[in-house]
Amino acid sequence: MTSMIDVVKLNVVFGDGADRVHAVRDVSFRVPEGATFGLVGESGSGKSTVLRALSGLNPNWTGRVVIAGQPQGIRRDKAFYKLVQMVFQDPYGSLHPRHTVDRILMEPLAIHRLDNPDRRIEQVLGEVGLGPAFRFRYPHQLSGGQRQRVAIARALILEPKVLLLDEPTSALDVSVQAEVLNLLQRLKQERGLTYILVSHNLAVVAHMCDELAVMNHGAVVEELEVSRLKRHDPSHPYTRQLMVASLGYDRAAIDRFEEFGREG
Amino acid sequence: MPGQQTTKHPLLAVEDLHVTFPTRKGLVEAVRGISFSLGREKLGIVGESGSGKSMTGRAILRLVAKPGIVRAKRLEFDGIDLQRAGEAQLRQIRGQRISMVMQDPKFSLNPVMRVGEQIAEAYRTHQKVAAAEAKRRALEMLKAVRIRDPERVYRAYPHEVSGGMGQRIMIAMMLIPDPDLLIADEPTSALDVTVQLQVLAILDDLVTQRGMGLIFISHDLNLVASFCDRVVIMYAGRVMEICDAKNLQAAQHPYTRGLLNCLPKIDGEGHDLPVLRRDPAWLEHGL
Repeated sequence: MTSMIDVVKLNVVFGDGADRVHAVRDVSFRVPEGATFGLVGESGSGKSTVLRALSGLNPNWTGRVVIAGQPQGIRRDKAFYKLVQMVFQDPYGSLHPRHTVDRILMEPLAIHRLDNPDRRIEQVLGEVGLGPAFRFRYPHQLSGGQRQRVAIARALILEPKVLLLDEPTSALDVSVQAEVLNLLQRLKQERGLTYILVSHNLAVVAHMCDELAVMNHGAVVEELEVSRLKRHDPSHPYTRQLMVASLGYDRAAIDRFEEFGREG
Repeated sequence: MPGQQTTKHPLLAVEDLHVTFPTRKGLVEAVRGISFSLGREKLGIVGESGSGKSMTGRAILRLVAKPGIVRAKRLEFDGIDLQRAGEAQLRQIRGQRISMVMQDPKFSLNPVMRVGEQIAEAYRTHQKVAAAEAKRRALEMLKAVRIRDPERVYRAYPHEVSGGMGQRIMIAMMLIPDPDLLIADEPTSALDVTVQLQVLAILDDLVTQRGMGLIFISHDLNLVASFCDRVVIMYAGRVMEICDAKNLQAAQHPYTRGLLNCLPKIDGEGHDLPVLRRDPAWLEHGL
């Protein structure tokens, strides 16, 4: 399979002098076309920073990023944003509170000068499971799950090939999470999308992904196939500890938890 | 009452509790007639957002803000009728006998006061002791919640500590008056999984050592099932089911089953997740 995303030795550094933070350290991975790749880690591990560097939201990176055969620089052109779109964690913060769903979806169409905006908006709302009745509502009139569907619709309306998903369900109730995860799976099959999914939830990643990288202190500690995770057989002790922690409360296991510092 | 494990004198007895809010569109019922009792055990209250689980915790301590209205047939803590208790008596109870840990330490700690002094203050509010003694106790408490360098943390301000440490500080502050009942409202959901479990282990040990009662409010069904002794499942302000945590996987109520099924599992199959179908009848009938 051809690779859709190729990342080699990605480094992200914020600030300088005493405030210098090396947030992402030599991260490399590749994602085949049509696959879902998971980035897992605890807060501060650098997983979201990787995603923001890939999406062009963060200019402070070095390394090599190739998406759909195109080497990417710091600045991205309009064609890039038609190819790669992002869905953010917080559906309460990522939609303009004073714009209707219609206006939210119209904006990317206007920027990219796509034809037939009416038809496209109606179609994409249907695809994410919101009827035409939602078109002229404001975000505050929608539930969290409905808002996340609007955010997904906004990303899909440009017909991208790659979706970058930053904790897309962690602000949602579990019953709504199931609906959104099912929606993402269906859209991926229908449109042949490639996903990178950032999550702290190993179960969500195991459910959605083919392969995953586990990050700690900015570096990838282990890259593994999801089948290894499903067999409860990761090789790195950090991954194993995350897995045990995800399985629920176990008093004895907690005493064996270790601090994992920076490696190398 | 079904689901009620009747010890003769439970630590806390709640019967037919209602919390309502008058709004422009009429009365909104956040909690609609729930009953449960609690001994010296870990009781989990689980539900989705809007199920009324947090309001239940707040109603016990009369922390529901106006214009909210709380009424119950019985709201009794260790023989004290909480509904008839005056504000002065309730201030004696809050903190000293029943205390509460909220979700986010960032918003529960005073940002311009050293954390150690806040813990010592919590102690001195209820005990007539000298400042030095309160400090000694606060340092002891910080050690009890497994903070490695209590002297340094005592002098720190809230913005200088991590989320996990902030939550331990909150727990230290809530436990220093040695309460009989601790209400923890999503105390760990802002934390990373491993830190979350470490904080729960501290709570668990303290419950066991001190014989305290714990109400643990959470949206995380699996976590509650593995951590608590009994679980109350709430939906739309009503109790759907009360069961022993160890039997949760065999729960009968379709709502509980639906919640369990829609969780992705690490070793699950790759198929679509079953989606929860809500039955309008659940709105009408609770336990």
